[in-house]
Amino acid sequence: MKKLIIFAIVLGLSFSGCKKDEPAPVQDNEFISTMRLTFTEGTNKLVYAIKDLDGDGGKAPVIEVIKLLPNKTYSLTTEFLDETKNPVVNLTSEIKAESAEHLIVFEPNSTNLMTVTRDDKDSRNFEVGLTATAKTSAALNGTMKVTLKHQPEVSGMPTKNGTASVGTTDFEGIFTVEVK
Amino acid sequence: MKSFTIFLLLLISGSIFSQKINCTCTLKGFVHDQEKHLPIVGAVLYLKGTNISVFTDSRGVYQFNNLCQGEYILVCKALSFDVTELKINLQDVHNQDIDLLNDDEHLQEVVVSSQKTSITNKSVLSGKSLEETRGQSLGEALKNISGVTTLQTGSFVQKPVINGMHSNRVIILNNGIRQEGQQWGSEHAPEIDPFVAKKLTVIKGAAGLRYGSDAIGGMVMVEPENLPDSAKIHGEINVVGFSNGLQRVGSGIIEGGLSGIQGFGWRVQGTYKRGGNISTATYNLVNTGIQERNFSVGVGLNKIHFGTDFFYSYFDTQIGVFMGSHIGNIQDLQRAISNGKPNDAYTPAKYSEVIERPNQDVSHHLLKVKSFLNSETFGKLTFVGAYQYNWRLEYDVPRGNRSLNTLNFKLDTYSAELILDHLPIAQLFNGSVGVNIQYQQNFSSSFELKKPLISTTLLPNYQTFNFGIFVNERFLSHQWEGEFGLRYDLRNLEAYSMKIGGILQQNKFDFSNFSGALGAKYHHTEMWESNINFGLVWRSPSVNELFTDGIHHGSASYEKGDLNLVPEIAQNLSIGTIYKSKKLSLELNAYLKNIQNFIYLKPRIQNDTLQNVLTVRGAFPAFDYTQVDARFWGVDLTFTYNPSEHFELTSKLSMVRVKDTRNNSFMVNIPSDRIDNSLQYNFKKRKAYISLNQQFIARQNRVEFNSDFLSPPNEYILLSIRSGLNFSNLSIGLTISNLLNKSYREYLNRFRYFSDDMGRNISVRINYKF
Repeated sequence: MKKLIIFAIVLGLSFSGCKKDEPAPVQDNEFISTMRLTFTEGTNKLVYAIKDLDGDGGKAPVIEVIKLLPNKTYSLTTEFLDETKNPVVNLTSEIKAESAEHLIVFEPNSTNLMTVTRDDKDSRNFEVGLTATAKTSAALNGTMKVTLKHQPEVSGMPTKNGTASVGTTDFEGIFTVEVK
Repeated sequence: MKSFTIFLLLLISGSIFSQKINCTCTLKGFVHDQEKHLPIVGAVLYLKGTNISVFTDSRGVYQFNNLCQGEYILVCKALSFDVTELKINLQDVHNQDIDLLNDDEHLQEVVVSSQKTSITNKSVLSGKSLEETRGQSLGEALKNISGVTTLQTGSFVQKPVINGMHSNRVIILNNGIRQEGQQWGSEHAPEIDPFVAKKLTVIKGAAGLRYGSDAIGGMVMVEPENLPDSAKIHGEINVVGFSNGLQRVGSGIIEGGLSGIQGFGWRVQGTYKRGGNISTATYNLVNTGIQERNFSVGVGLNKIHFGTDFFYSYFDTQIGVFMGSHIGNIQDLQRAISNGKPNDAYTPAKYSEVIERPNQDVSHHLLKVKSFLNSETFGKLTFVGAYQYNWRLEYDVPRGNRSLNTLNFKLDTYSAELILDHLPIAQLFNGSVGVNIQYQQNFSSSFELKKPLISTTLLPNYQTFNFGIFVNERFLSHQWEGEFGLRYDLRNLEAYSMKIGGILQQNKFDFSNFSGALGAKYHHTEMWESNINFGLVWRSPSVNELFTDGIHHGSASYEKGDLNLVPEIAQNLSIGTIYKSKKLSLELNAYLKNIQNFIYLKPRIQNDTLQNVLTVRGAFPAFDYTQVDARFWGVDLTFTYNPSEHFELTSKLSMVRVKDTRNNSFMVNIPSDRIDNSLQYNFKKRKAYISLNQQFIARQNRVEFNSDFLSPPNEYILLSIRSGLNFSNLSIGLTISNLLNKSYREYLNRFRYFSDDMGRNISVRINYKF
């Protein structure tokens, strides 16, 4: 009887011991608090952001108003940050390193407001969107939705197909845009 | 009719011999459990056709004094044993020992039957009908009981829903111990290997005050067989294969004793399950594989006056979460819904067994010790101590191939109970009193309870302390059985959470309340009985209902808990009637539950529009844990007709109606009406049978306005074939479910937004006993 109990305990311990590699508990560094757009035209640099520093719920995200000049061509870079950490975590380089699994989608509510073309390509020749060109035309007010899609591989097969139809949305915000 | 004739005969014989009878006769004897030869305390014995009844004492002894000479029918009844009747010809002093058979021995051939000697509405799955479910999850197996459905996340995460209630409102007893996992979550299936069970029992309605007051919906009992008491080695091997997902299951039991030590028994049991991507009627679903590794060990020494059992079980599973259900915001969800079929990237033609991210990785340990002492002075004293450790990891799909787990819950539960099954009081009441204590601690992050390190964990770190004291008394007579119970609970909860930005927060809660139950059963005839039960039970708010604050990614909604929730109080009323004859059997159960302050995740609606919460992933509809008054009522019906020994026709019907009476609105996630019909043909030889089953599931038309992204799916009909064949030690079964490979979606499956349910599935079972 003793032997059996010992056997049971040893068996139990051996099973529980050899399971799962448990990483040390750390704050989730997947969190993205901020999306920052930088519009550059010559020496003129304009920075606008959407920030939600208290996480989901609580206060609504703070959204800055994008103010651009008409009939200009801006180069546009997009960055993603976690500003709730100290120091601030910049996730842009990770997204760049995995550009074959990411897509940034720019959706101005009308093409008269602005056209945005993505300039960078990933290893499979799909656009990424971390750098882009934004062209304004006539003076107009509107909105632009910017979405970061994460499109990871499935069973070793890439899923990114150049559209927003696959993957999960990691960040989405709608800017108010004033071109004047 | 038969009993009537006997009664008449008795009357006649009584009157004929009435001249010269001696009325000082004695009838006495022992009542034993046939299997283990332990005395049965509190069995009721009566002489049919008279009003004379006695109980057995702590040694299992009964005695009738001052009986008149004559022929009697002695009836012996005890809870959870078959009723036994014996003809006694009494002259002077008569010794009559009785061996009672545990009633599950008789259930081998019975489909789903109610037990005779319990007042509550009890449905049992055992014998052949349990065998048919071998290889399936616990939830899936329980669906065979009328009134039980499942809340699903895909095909393998299935939670039992009893009369419309689930999760924290259903207690699951694993070998007599309350299962303590993260049962609050709708995508957290019970961590139990059904192969452990010889019998699955569902108790509907407020039941089992002994185990807690919070079983508002009901209770599921997973019961293994008693440990063997002979030294001979026995065992069982089960092998099951499923065509869908190429799932294989193997399970074995080996048990025996030790020659030389009377009453010593042991058992070792283990199960392995592995399957790959499952397919719907028309496409495969990526990352839907499963792996399960379980084992259990039991060992015990049981004598007449004392005994101790040890039990240890380990459950370990990895379940892939269908990648097409992985969404980031509401647009992703709406896109999935409007596509009608998952994106091609998520429906690969090639079969795979690899479990990738996202997935769930869950393990559960249970260690139990149970000891009893049988005394002639106070009755039977039982101590049960248990430790459970539940570890749940949920892995998301992170960037940069980090080995990050998104959720990591570790729950320790220590529990102890002391129960006294006292000797009959005043030859009338037979019952038990007891206390339970339970201490629990949950780690959602960090290794220090009071210093959580992560703010995005859904649940805080917490500890709870529960104390309960109860009394349960029964009364048995020839035609009546009565039962009442009373319980008092104290619950203390301390939670430690971290808000974003690193601010620590501490909250304390104290809850206490009385609960009670009252039941009666009346035996109209040998074949017909009716029961009525009333229960007043309560449940304190669970940690998720108090603390949730964030996006529930699975359902693309923002959920907000409320620290000011108060316990919900339920009044349960149920009536049932059971009729059983050789050709016809009928079981009907109707219930009404009024639940005050029912905790409900209610959509935040203002001016008839669903309110959204804006996040960095877009807008999400908001849901709040709110208290409403809920009314549940419904009917479960099982009907069996055997026109000849070859044919058997069974119909099961269940319906439940639920209303939020405070706001006069319907509620979400309530099972729709369903009817199961089956026609079985039994062959003369080898216990062979084949049955054709038809299941009709209605559309759920009663849902709360504006509470869902997608209206409930259409009604559907599924056909299946079940068959079995026996060769002495070997039995073989073949089942084809979803025979016509129909595309359908079930309302209570969360994946109905993303994909169809499982297509045709052919399974083969082999069971070998030695």
